[in-house]
Amino acid sequence: MHRLLSFASLYSPMSTNGNVIDVHDVHKTFKKRIKALQGVDLQVGAGEIFGLLGPNGAGKSTLVKILMTVVRPDRISGTFLGNSVGSKQPLARVGYLPEHHNFPGYLTGLQVIEFSGAMCRLTKRERRTNARRLLDRVGMTRWGSSRLNSYSKGMLQRVGLAQALVNDPKVVLLDEPTDGVDPVGRREIRDLLLELRDEGHTIFLNSHLLSELEMVCDRVAIMVQGRVSMQGTIEELTRDSRRHEVRCIGPCPDWITALPDATAECLEDECRISIPTDDVEAIQPIIDRLRKEGRSITRVHAVRESPEDLFMRAVVDESGTIAAPGAEIKPRRGSGGDAP
Amino acid sequence: MSQTIALLIDAYRLLNARKIFWITLVLSLLVVSSFALVGIHDHGISIAWWDLEIPELNTGSGGWSKELFYKIMFTELGIKIWLAWVATILGLITTASIFPEFVTAGSIDIILSKPIGRFRLFFTKYLTGLLFVILQVSVFTGASFIVIGIRGGVWEPGIFIAIPLVVLFFSYLFSVCAVLGVITRSTIASLLLTILFWFIIFIVQSAERSLLFFEMMNEQRVMAYEDAVDRTRQRLDKVEDPDDMERWGFLHETLDKRKAILEESESTAGNLDTWHDGLMFVMTVLPKTGETIELLQRWTIDLAELPGSTDEPSRPIIDDDDHFRLDEDRLGQDMQTALRNRSPWWILGTSFIFELVVLCFGAWRFNRRDF
Repeated sequence: MHRLLSFASLYSPMSTNGNVIDVHDVHKTFKKRIKALQGVDLQVGAGEIFGLLGPNGAGKSTLVKILMTVVRPDRISGTFLGNSVGSKQPLARVGYLPEHHNFPGYLTGLQVIEFSGAMCRLTKRERRTNARRLLDRVGMTRWGSSRLNSYSKGMLQRVGLAQALVNDPKVVLLDEPTDGVDPVGRREIRDLLLELRDEGHTIFLNSHLLSELEMVCDRVAIMVQGRVSMQGTIEELTRDSRRHEVRCIGPCPDWITALPDATAECLEDECRISIPTDDVEAIQPIIDRLRKEGRSITRVHAVRESPEDLFMRAVVDESGTIAAPGAEIKPRRGSGGDAP
Repeated sequence: MSQTIALLIDAYRLLNARKIFWITLVLSLLVVSSFALVGIHDHGISIAWWDLEIPELNTGSGGWSKELFYKIMFTELGIKIWLAWVATILGLITTASIFPEFVTAGSIDIILSKPIGRFRLFFTKYLTGLLFVILQVSVFTGASFIVIGIRGGVWEPGIFIAIPLVVLFFSYLFSVCAVLGVITRSTIASLLLTILFWFIIFIVQSAERSLLFFEMMNEQRVMAYEDAVDRTRQRLDKVEDPDDMERWGFLHETLDKRKAILEESESTAGNLDTWHDGLMFVMTVLPKTGETIELLQRWTIDLAELPGSTDEPSRPIIDDDDHFRLDEDRLGQDMQTALRNRSPWWILGTSFIFELVVLCFGAWRFNRRDF
């Protein structure tokens, strides 16, 4: 049905509301069966570092490719830098580093960056100046004149990052930018991303490394099987899961069950009481009562859900089943069983 | 414009990085150098410091001019053999990977994420692929121009027409190769299928030439038997009492036999004509690789310049033993004339339309495809 529609009619621009990326109802099915995206809604604000998380095959790269006009969506509405998604116009102000980039080995690092600049319609002078500056910024000045086929993966990643920044983009989309980079390099890239944000660039980050995203991202979205399962700041997403834990010697007090949502668990000679609140004042009456009962309190601490817990919460459905990796596959007509 | 220039420079860098490009260029220069080593004189030809006496090939009276000798060598060996076969195969090997590598995941993502339309990208990339043959044929023709000038004593700028003709010829094949590259994403598959396509074109063209040859041979046969029938009739008209079968029965017999052969030849002509028309239709649809290259000879060498050519061809005859004697010289000339009479607009125009259709399909496919 969608194939009958013209390409232009698939896009309907919407107001940006200050978001550089504001897309709704993104659908994409490959080969009529593989449902890569099933109605994605996503907003990325100007000047933030936005992280997109999700298991393999969740549709993260497809979404980025749709924004970069590499993949054509079946349906989409919204805007990218104020233009319809699919339009080439905003791409002059966008930098992109794909996950498995493949730069020609016969080019030098400097040539790759300059070529990228030329494709973004920069003047020769701008290309040259920016290329040298960026090589320095990613710590590759010494290797700028060497051919890429002599580079390590980490070096390729740095040059890839530099070529994505050559046009001084408003938005930079990076797909696994630290893939293959050593810990020192990762830290440098993280610092660079933070610097870029401080300079006013918007960073859209696709990564599997949860801890890394936690360190740099202002907001994240978690995608599962072609849908955005959660979206917000890490603070917002973990707010409901915040609690305080109090540990004391002795058996669990029976009055704890009378407290709303509080739970107690016996651990050998200790009792662990969990109170679902991040308000430290709210747990004081419980501590007072435990002391009154003459119990020794061994530990009081605030517990926040780790990014990994958050991720797992997103990929596990209500029945407790972990979503299978990959996109949803529509069974073949008449096959009845699961698609391969 | 900066984008187009960047793509062209990138294409040059790609060629520069490929050894086969430089190997082909060096081989091209060796071929031209070998032309320079060959000379023609009153008694034959010389190769470096060896003289070979060849009665058919000399600059003596009624023989070859130096200019014609070098022009023939340039068109027959340099263009038809070297550029149109060997260098083209090397060119296809070099350029077949351009589109498959271009659409490789990780490579195409970066280029498509730039503010450049897919149609423009496809056609610019296609044109950059022709850079290989443009550089090769330009160097080869330039060097040949110098060799013909120094050794042949004539500075013939007309041979530079070889550059657009060879580029056009290569572009027919490269268009197919480019589209196959976009569809299959495989260098080997696109190269082999392009060579297969080229082979099919070659077979169709060879079949058409063969049919044309048989058609013309049959025409001579018809002509000869028409003459023979006329001659026999005239002979019968001249004799007294031609109905006297005892005396002139053999003449009647000969007449009937010749008439039967003439009818059979005319019927064969009809059949050949039908088949030839069918093949010409197929030829019209396909690119005309051979004929495009032959335009160079047509435009640089006049038939009248060739030794042995005559404006008054003889007529084929049926000899006294009633055998048909083919006039090979006339057949050769008729073939040349028939081929030269084919309109360049038909040759180039229909081939170009084919190329355009293939490229538009490729561009449409490239534009629609997800990467």
